[in-house]
Amino acid sequence: MTYDRNDIPGTADEYVLGLLDPRDAAEVEVEMERDAELKDAIAASRERFLPLDTSIEPAAISEGLWRRIEAALPAQSKSIEKMPPTRPANDNRHGWRMTALLAIAATIALAIGLAASLMRIQEPLVVAVLLNDAGEVQAVVEDFGSEKAVVRMLADFDVPSDKTIQVWTLPSRETGPVSLGLIDGIHSATLDGPVLPTPQRDQLYEITLEQAGGSPTGLPTGPILAKGFAKLPR
Amino acid sequence: MLTGHAPDDLDKALAACAKGDRTALRGIFDREAGRLVAVAERIVRRRDLAEEVVQDAFIRIWTHAHQYDPTRGSARGWIYAIVRNRALNLLRDGKREHTVEEVDALRESEQVNEVIAAWRKLDRNSLLHDCLGALDETKRHGILMAYVGGYSHGEIAGRLRIPLGTAKSWIRRGLASLRECMA
Repeated sequence: MTYDRNDIPGTADEYVLGLLDPRDAAEVEVEMERDAELKDAIAASRERFLPLDTSIEPAAISEGLWRRIEAALPAQSKSIEKMPPTRPANDNRHGWRMTALLAIAATIALAIGLAASLMRIQEPLVVAVLLNDAGEVQAVVEDFGSEKAVVRMLADFDVPSDKTIQVWTLPSRETGPVSLGLIDGIHSATLDGPVLPTPQRDQLYEITLEQAGGSPTGLPTGPILAKGFAKLPR
Repeated sequence: MLTGHAPDDLDKALAACAKGDRTALRGIFDREAGRLVAVAERIVRRRDLAEEVVQDAFIRIWTHAHQYDPTRGSARGWIYAIVRNRALNLLRDGKREHTVEEVDALRESEQVNEVIAAWRKLDRNSLLHDCLGALDETKRHGILMAYVGGYSHGEIAGRLRIPLGTAKSWIRRGLASLRECMA
């Protein structure tokens, strides 16, 4: 649609009421990330209509619903390791605490190192062969799930100095495209992506040419260099 | 225009969720899940689909809690918007087409009445109640059918027996009057 900048409150209301067609709604969702006025108008509209939802008679909820939610929760990417909740009342000597903290830090570092070394012999959950428009193989993405993916570049790309190659996947239509990371120069790389659902067969992967530092919108904006669908290794 | 609000328990719960605290998510569930399922059911019209919506929404609340920005609206508005968007997406994916076929005409008209009744359940002293009440009935019904029931412009035009273009412009004008009244 390319929404009317003179009627941002009107667009915001129609978005909040679900009256925009899906393509326009998707455009608003992308635009609101860089247009503070639109984002604020949407927030204001939500607050205006919210009492229609909060005044509703609550439905009876079964414990089963919570169990299904809890079973599907992924770990938070930056979850904070909790310290043991109890400690003896006399244990307030900083020396011991520092030693304990260092020991914990060392354990975590070892665990990360171990995970990294295990990663090298681990099988990817899915492999996607990325093709260009001409059907030529350009790259392969191996997604290990749990925030790790390896991209192997199999062709030369002409990347101007102010551009970078960005790797994307589409876990679901609801999530939209998610960046797995940037590739410095043109070589294979291991990417630390965000926490995502376990990669599935036929999940889309693609690489695009974006401005240096990555897409400003958090969504692919540049030309698609290659794309392909995930296959499960046998 | 920023929507100022005092930080409340839901703000804190979202911040705790972002740090990986599952009991905070459970707290949000205990407080809001009953209403959220009811809100989703008004839109998708089936309890099983409504629970599916709320289940997916809670996963999203968990994975996106770090993106919630208290300077841009209330935590409650953010949480309800996630559920509403999931429910509306389910409609767009066409699941309601199927359910509408199962529903007879009587039940259909009951649902329209339920949607309109949402206005009557509002706090009578609230600005939203008064400002909706100040609109012509057709505009009020159109806005309520869209927000409460998730009806599209076409569905609203059909049920109010007015041309599509008229429905669109009436709703747009109704929304503008509402903003002015509540400003």
